[in-house]
Amino acid sequence: MEKRSTRRDFLKKTVATGIGITVFPQILPASTLGRSGAIAPNDRIAMAVIGSGSRGMSNVNWFNQNKEIQFIAACDVDANHRDRAKAVIDKHNKNSDLRTYPDYRELLEKEKVDAMLIALPDQWHAVIATAVASKGIDIFGEKPLARTIREGRAIVNAVEKNNIIWQTGSWQRSVAKFHRACELVINKKIGEVKYAEVGLPDAHKLIGTPPVMQIPEGLDWNFWLGPAPTKPYRGVSHWDWRWIMDYSGGQLTDWAGHHIDIAHWGLGLDRNGPVEIEGKGVYPDEGIYDVPVEFDFTCKYENGIKIRVANRSRLPYDMGTTWYGENGWIHVDRSKLIAENPEVLKETIGDNEIHLYKSYDHVRNFIECLKSRKETITPAEIAHRSISVGLLGEIAMLTGQKLSWDPEKEVFNDNNHANRLLSRPMRSPWKLTE
Amino acid sequence: MRNILKLLAGLSLVVTFLMVQSCGTTAEHKALIITGQNNHNWEKSSIIIKDILDQTGIFETEILLSPPAGESMSGFLPEFNKFEVVILDYNGDPWPDKAKLDFVDYVKNGGGVVIYHAADNAFPEWKEYNEMIGLGGWGNRNEKSGPYYYWKDGKMIKDTSPGKGGGHGARHPFLVINRDTEHPVTRGLPEKWMHSEDELYSWLRGPAENINVLSTAYSDSTKGGSGREEPVLFTISYGKGRVFHTVLGHCGKGDDAPAMHGAGFITTFQRGAEWAATGNVTLAIPDNLPNSVSVVIWDKLSPLTVEELLQKAGKYNIGMSRKYLADLTERIRRVSDDPGELKKYENKLLKFLDSDATTDSKNYVMKELSWMGTETSIPVLEKLLKSEDTAEMATFALKRIKSE
Repeated sequence: MEKRSTRRDFLKKTVATGIGITVFPQILPASTLGRSGAIAPNDRIAMAVIGSGSRGMSNVNWFNQNKEIQFIAACDVDANHRDRAKAVIDKHNKNSDLRTYPDYRELLEKEKVDAMLIALPDQWHAVIATAVASKGIDIFGEKPLARTIREGRAIVNAVEKNNIIWQTGSWQRSVAKFHRACELVINKKIGEVKYAEVGLPDAHKLIGTPPVMQIPEGLDWNFWLGPAPTKPYRGVSHWDWRWIMDYSGGQLTDWAGHHIDIAHWGLGLDRNGPVEIEGKGVYPDEGIYDVPVEFDFTCKYENGIKIRVANRSRLPYDMGTTWYGENGWIHVDRSKLIAENPEVLKETIGDNEIHLYKSYDHVRNFIECLKSRKETITPAEIAHRSISVGLLGEIAMLTGQKLSWDPEKEVFNDNNHANRLLSRPMRSPWKLTE
Repeated sequence: MRNILKLLAGLSLVVTFLMVQSCGTTAEHKALIITGQNNHNWEKSSIIIKDILDQTGIFETEILLSPPAGESMSGFLPEFNKFEVVILDYNGDPWPDKAKLDFVDYVKNGGGVVIYHAADNAFPEWKEYNEMIGLGGWGNRNEKSGPYYYWKDGKMIKDTSPGKGGGHGARHPFLVINRDTEHPVTRGLPEKWMHSEDELYSWLRGPAENINVLSTAYSDSTKGGSGREEPVLFTISYGKGRVFHTVLGHCGKGDDAPAMHGAGFITTFQRGAEWAATGNVTLAIPDNLPNSVSVVIWDKLSPLTVEELLQKAGKYNIGMSRKYLADLTERIRRVSDDPGELKKYENKLLKFLDSDATTDSKNYVMKELSWMGTETSIPVLEKLLKSEDTAEMATFALKRIKSE
């Protein structure tokens, strides 16, 4: 991948030539980084986080285990989140310099950062990711890549156009067990695989219809909604948004970026997509929860491979990914890697066999790629293909149709109705950045 | 007892001896309901069952009343062989030996039987009957009657521990889970469905031989139940005969029999009866079935028409159950491969948008139209742009429809 001129390069040049340029933020002495004293200022990676809720902050803490990282700004529509981010990050940086913003546009205008961490409700992913990408800033973005297939493709295009590094929060790829399972499968240690199953969590319990509430002090609810339709505040902004289709596709899309991603990886399909999708969902009719409480659909790929995706209790091997080969199955989830024939698990991968991208730490992989300008273990295209399976399943269930899909053009064949569900109209003024 | 004769006469049925016969139908399968003694409201339940079966158009159903309890049973000799399926809504005095022998012969030779609710309380001492019904309760049934039989760790288990057979907790709606989704009775039905308020029979025990459990339900110990996943629909093969056993459908004295008006009860009863009669099910999967969340009651024992559904859906306000709207969506999904059918629904939805339906229901319908509507929807949606309450969803739908 071609190397773009980075901010660090720019800093190197200006410092080397001794030209007195005031850059904002000013370069801090390395000692201000406390334990990271060994890092030269120019190797520092200035970062900001957009969305400093629970996921955002746990990622911040993960990043902060790396001495190169320095968070200089945080953005959230909730003042409480901003305050918490400032407290946590300032404490880590041993200063009081973190700048906070309620509006990501202001952050992008005022701050010069090398990399951005994004952890937002899904309806915001593409609007903000494309805006950040357009500034040439590298991105670590949470899964699922986007709320719709068109939005996901827009992110992939923005990453390519702006030549930035993208890592998706599909961290299972950087866990040895999953890597090992995928290498065994892709090297046909269980023979040819024609069928796989992906188990995702069962439904979260229903939430009823919480009353319309006073918007909490400090929360800009209208901004939180962003491109999604106007709705009164019912207290769903920090967790339960996952169960409302305007913001998320539920457990299916929340988890597609994990176990579907792994299924694809093992089958060598992670830059591909199905040609046929068929399935059924069960939708609740009580309360504001409107994502499926049960889902079960099957995708067929051009090479005849089928992947069935369902909530865990519908499948024999529960959560995780199970590949069925000619010579038995392999199953992997967060707690175990097992095989019908356990001897398979002892197989070694020879020099001439396929060796999958190896990463030991998902955040570290991103940081290394910022430096090397190489592709991360979960680039945007791969994340897009993983969530696409979940989103295609969502459309198959919503329409009740057996869908024929062109994975190259990314359109349903001869189906204008289903094609409309590839995007969601956005509320003004929000739009994707071209 | 004599009231039923009046009641039946009132329904323009012909009463001959104790045989009640409906006239003029040319349905494919002859069905016989046997009742007349029961600790339940058999006067009501047997009529409801007859309606449920006749409504399918494939049954011609007769009701046979036994002598009243305590009277001589000696003349009670049903002609089972005239029927393809015999439905037992009977829990009373023992039948004469000849009737018992005839019944066993009938089933052994391929006759169909439906065991309905308290019929599995009957005849604790009749060995063959207990083999046919698989499981039963009350009547001093205990470990000598056979094991308890319930769903545990993904399969049915037989539990031979001692104890009485039969019991139930308080009446309440409960979730039924179809465990065999490939059987003709359950194939194509929702796998989990809320059943309307009913007694959930628990702790049943019996021979449980040649039994295939189709559905179970959790008997909630906090409501006085067993704390087990109890079988509620099952089949037994007996000789060449087929038995469909539903423990559902309680009908008490003076109640409205909500359990018998539940869409799931009705549908599985109809399908179970057809399967018992023929070994197959040809009945279509009806609209308006319950999902895993809310009960669906069929007041008229049949699904709501689209018009009735829209009528009810049009009263929706956020906070209420969306079940009518959700059902509408389900119906659309079922025909979505047929552009002509989609178009019919579009026209109905457009009429709905022009009606005095609530804003919340219109906003729901506009979301549906956003994918399945055509340009026909555009002028109606544009009209809704003018009202503040509907403008945003109208914009949403118009953007999608025009995006082609």
